[in-house]
Amino acid sequence: MKFELLEHPADIGFRARGRSLEGLFANCAYALVSIILDPCAIQVAAEIAVEATGSDYESLLVNFLNEVLYYVDGKGIALGRFDVGRLDPAHVRCIAGGEPRNPEMHPPRVVVKAVTYHQLKVARDETGWVAEVYVDV
Amino acid sequence: MAEIRPEQIDAFRYRIPRDRSLGMRTDVVVYASAALMEQIQKDQSLTQAVNVATLPGIVGPSLAMPDIHQGYGFPIGGVAATDLDYGVVSPGGVGFDINCGVRLVRSTLPETEVRPRLKDLINQTFRDVPCGTGTEGRVGVKASQIDDVLRQGARWMVENGFGDERDAEFAEAGGALESALPNKVSARAKERGTPQLGTLGSGNHFLEVQYVEQVHDVPGAAAMQIEEGQVVILIHSGSRGLGHQVCTDYVALMNQVMPKYNITLPDRQLACAPVRSDEGRSYLGAMAAAANFAWANRQAIMHFLRGAFRRIFGESARLELIYDVCHNIAKRETYDVDGRTREVLVHRKGATRAFPPGDPEIPASYRSIGQPVFIPGSMGTASWVLAGQARAKQETFGSVCHGAGRLLSRTAVRKGKNAREEQRKLEENGILVRSESKDGILEELPEAYKNVDEVIEVVHNAGLAKKVARLRPMGVIKG
Repeated sequence: MKFELLEHPADIGFRARGRSLEGLFANCAYALVSIILDPCAIQVAAEIAVEATGSDYESLLVNFLNEVLYYVDGKGIALGRFDVGRLDPAHVRCIAGGEPRNPEMHPPRVVVKAVTYHQLKVARDETGWVAEVYVDV
Repeated sequence: MAEIRPEQIDAFRYRIPRDRSLGMRTDVVVYASAALMEQIQKDQSLTQAVNVATLPGIVGPSLAMPDIHQGYGFPIGGVAATDLDYGVVSPGGVGFDINCGVRLVRSTLPETEVRPRLKDLINQTFRDVPCGTGTEGRVGVKASQIDDVLRQGARWMVENGFGDERDAEFAEAGGALESALPNKVSARAKERGTPQLGTLGSGNHFLEVQYVEQVHDVPGAAAMQIEEGQVVILIHSGSRGLGHQVCTDYVALMNQVMPKYNITLPDRQLACAPVRSDEGRSYLGAMAAAANFAWANRQAIMHFLRGAFRRIFGESARLELIYDVCHNIAKRETYDVDGRTREVLVHRKGATRAFPPGDPEIPASYRSIGQPVFIPGSMGTASWVLAGQARAKQETFGSVCHGAGRLLSRTAVRKGKNAREEQRKLEENGILVRSESKDGILEELPEAYKNVDEVIEVVHNAGLAKKVARLRPMGVIKG
């Protein structure tokens, strides 16, 4: 499993892990898309570059996930694959693959308004890296 | 962090005294009964209300309404006023859904006439008012028109055939804030929001067909032209992706500039900038534009609802707007604070403006009773119509609660539940529900919320707003 859902009184969070920071960012992006729609049937018909900047890993992750959200909610692209390039606290670049959203193929679950800093965590653990992220729905 | 211990002031008020070790600049005042306070203390909402009390330039106490629950940065159900000269504006104090709000619409039909055709009405409305989870709205605004929508709000809709002449008058601020600066809204916010104009959204957004179950205040009900048995419709939606992106953009910007203004805060989601700074002014202009988008959105939804009613009940079925209130906003308003008149910036995060009788901001037909306030409960219980009272202006910067307040998380409420079974149970209670997803039903079940009647008792008895009527749901459309 790439992630697990976390409880919040009004909204939703997730905990994701990765052996590397790059893997962690990719799994967080997949978790975010999975909250918005059912990602099982996403085909990679096109690729886009998703880039973000930050001042530390926390702000980088929030900005990166908000960028992914913009493509899914604003551009209507169901993204299902994330190849995250080598990152540093100031910059991340990812090649994301997916196809135009189609409610038949990717049943919508809930509209995510934004990715937040609420109880945000990016840390090392025994297997690599772990992040906890809460989104506003 | 030190344990937070609210001290009871009276049956409906608690105080958390200023604790300098926590960086608090003022007290927290919570409006709650003993039973509600017990529920409130189960999540982190009081810690968040304490964090709000650390904001630079906060005026008066950090306030918490009886429906308070844990949010992001600010608690949901929080109110904070800041000084215009040395205070800050915090996008998190407004929230991602800028001008999320409700409008109540009265029909000319009694419950007895609507119930036999309720299923047809709900199905028609479900077709005409998309939820927008993967579908586009029916307004069809072009990119070249969006700045006009952001400037004119509900008025743009009326002038372009999506409403009646009197509609815009019956919304808070006339359905448009003049301070809107469309050029401070990013291109991607416009791109994200434009196709969603005229859609409900998901989560706790809804369109509910209800009837007036009981009138509690006859003059109030008469002014709003509602009586027992009459069908009304409550629409709960906001600024959709446009508002969400505006908040996202400015939280990111303010996190970058806080060091420049020597601001440090206990929670990054409270990110803020001085009201007078370039960043603060830009945010307020963009926020006002997003607020206007939300008024336009609710106006469009009501227009499509009118079409659905006419189709089912014929041309004589009329729908008239009672009022439209926002509950996520920051506004410049004037209050008497510590014996002097001051203009402040009131942040309402999950709180409703509730101005008292006589206030010039209220439409003339409601001026004798106080501003209409609508408090949705849950899809299985009730909603309330209230009227603002004097104490709100004196104590809470003209604010009351905005809902019942969430009690259970989305994951907790759906555990072991089946959407079809829950839908059937609601139907047995006379409530027909249609949702674009089964999550939309399960996560918004009545048990997820506090008892709305208890919340209303607090604001009524504290003198913030008085009960006018209790509404019962009949048909619900969820995202």
